[in-house]
Amino acid sequence: MIHLEILFFGKLKEIWNTKKLTMQTTSSNIEELYTELLTKASEVPHKASIKVAINDEFVDWNSQLKDNDSIAFLPPASGG
Amino acid sequence: MFCLSDKKIDDQQLKQQTLDPSAGGFVCFEGWVRDNNQGKDVQKLAYESYPILAVKEGNKIIAETYEKFDIKKAYCTHRVGLLEIGDMAVWVGVSAAHRDAAYKASRFILDEVKSRVPIWKNETWTDGESGWVEQES
Repeated sequence: MIHLEILFFGKLKEIWNTKKLTMQTTSSNIEELYTELLTKASEVPHKASIKVAINDEFVDWNSQLKDNDSIAFLPPASGG
Repeated sequence: MFCLSDKKIDDQQLKQQTLDPSAGGFVCFEGWVRDNNQGKDVQKLAYESYPILAVKEGNKIIAETYEKFDIKKAYCTHRVGLLEIGDMAVWVGVSAAHRDAAYKASRFILDEVKSRVPIWKNETWTDGESGWVEQES
């Protein structure tokens, strides 16, 4: 088991009804973690539009997770 | 340099930073909060960001701009927090020896910031409802 901090931004905060949560998981990569997190989501977001970051760096969906990582799920940007 | 600001953007200071004695011109774009969007009447809006990643990605865009275009200086500042109608939401300024590079570089910065920098717009409409803006052109 590893311990993770999960951050949600924008519309994803509403889908998961929180901006931050901590959890223990056996998921080894982002893809597995996301599937696990879907059980807590109020609706299924459009995954292809979501970007992910580990410890403040953009990463791929197959990136491996480590103990105490901070994982962020980001909807499409809408600044400007 | 790319910055986030939770206060009114100081465009005059940004312009001073962008000036360069070897530049023959300066192109600036100011994005303002307008009172309508996607068919709805907007009352106000809030920008949320992922600050550390937003500044990293914004500065990556500025670095790419220096590589792609023959420019002297480039700055971009984006507001976060609560904004009212008419407030300046984003400022982009580029100085260059010649106008073509300055125009193209400023357009490039704004387009890339809108699509890549983790900033999200939440609008409050005049009917009292609010919601996240998905994507705009």
